[in-house]
Parts: sequence; structure tokens; C-alpha cells
Amino acid sequence: MVNYESIFIAEPNASDDEVAAFTKGFEEAVTGGSGTVLKVEKWGKRRLAYRIGRHEDGNYTLLYLNCPPAAVKELERRYRMNDRIIKYLTVRVDENIPDTKPTEAGTASEDRPVETLEAE
Amino acid sequence: MDSRDRDKAKKKQFRKKFLFRKKKFCKFCEEKIPYIDYKDVRLLQGFTPERGKIFPRRISGTCAKHQRELMQAIKRARNIALLPFTAD
Repeated sequence: MVNYESIFIAEPNASDDEVAAFTKGFEEAVTGGSGTVLKVEKWGKRRLAYRIGRHEDGNYTLLYLNCPPAAVKELERRYRMNDRIIKYLTVRVDENIPDTKPTEAGTASEDRPVETLEAE
Repeated sequence: MDSRDRDKAKKKQFRKKFLFRKKKFCKFCEEKIPYIDYKDVRLLQGFTPERGKIFPRRISGTCAKHQRELMQAIKRARNIALLPFTAD
């Protein structure tokens, strides 16, 4: 059993109910593969950093999983089958799950962590 | 006389440039950030200035290990459209 983080973007015009239904289907893919879904995080609608197809926004959902690799394969197959999922990413996480929410983009200028040193 | 003055001025400039530069340090080592998360857009954004390119180590002062992790995180964030590949 391995820990994974899987994140998928549904079309922006998908309603909450639809996204919930998709999520349920994906959870089944994991539990069907003898894995467990540890947590589901709904980020809701966010602006995409770049256009994907004709979409400017996306409906993000994040799943924390503990499952065998085969279950991920099945999960990703379902992502691809669903044409209202515009993008997905599954990442393996080793340590205990870090709990972070996405920070809002576009406010970094003030508290920019790196100081730009003048070029030589 | 004249030329010696100029030399002195030059030396002073040289010193100013190299002796009193602010010491660079690795932000991640300093703040003991254990894991660079690709979902932390605000953190990553600080390392991808205007064009969306990854800030080089030479300028940001990030250590090799953390630059590697940072690169991985930025690339993941780009994949899932949290960060742009390019800005215009």
C-alpha cells in the first residue's frame, strides 16, 4: 500500500452535484482496488494558469489515497474515460500527509521570499 | 597624482561591490521547510518571476537539494495549471 495524492480538474460548468457524483465514482475505483480514500478536499472553482482546450477555469478536487498501484491505474483510466475531466495528476507521497490548501495566486509580490539581487 | 586618485576610487568601488554584498541564504534551510508542496502556489510563485521561469540558484541562493525539490514542485504545479509555463 502506497500513499498518493490525486488531483483532478473538472469542467467549470459542472455543477456541485455532478462533481460529487464523479468523485464518488473515483472513490469506488480506489475502494474496488482494495484501497482506501483517506480524505477528499474540494477546492472548487479556480482560475487556470493557462487555457486547457477552451477552458479558462477549472473545478479542482483533491483525493488523498492509500492504495496499491493497480488501483491508481484504474483511477486514471476512469479520469480519461470521463470527458468532463480536463486534467489530472497523481503524485506519490512518502511521509505523513502534509495538510495544505492552495494559496491564492497573484498576491506574491509583497511577501516575495527571494530578494532579487542586482545583476552583475 | 591624478591617476592614483582614480585608482583609489576604483578600488573603493570594487570593495563596495564585493565586500558589502548581502549574504545569500537558502530560504528552505533557514525556515526548515520539510517538504516543498506543489500546491503551495504562493511559495512557488516567489521563485517564478514575471515570465514564469524558475529562478536560478545563482541568484536566489537556494541550496542544491532544495532547488531540486523546488524544481519538481514547480513542474508539478505547472502540470495541473496552478502555475503558468510562460506568461505571455
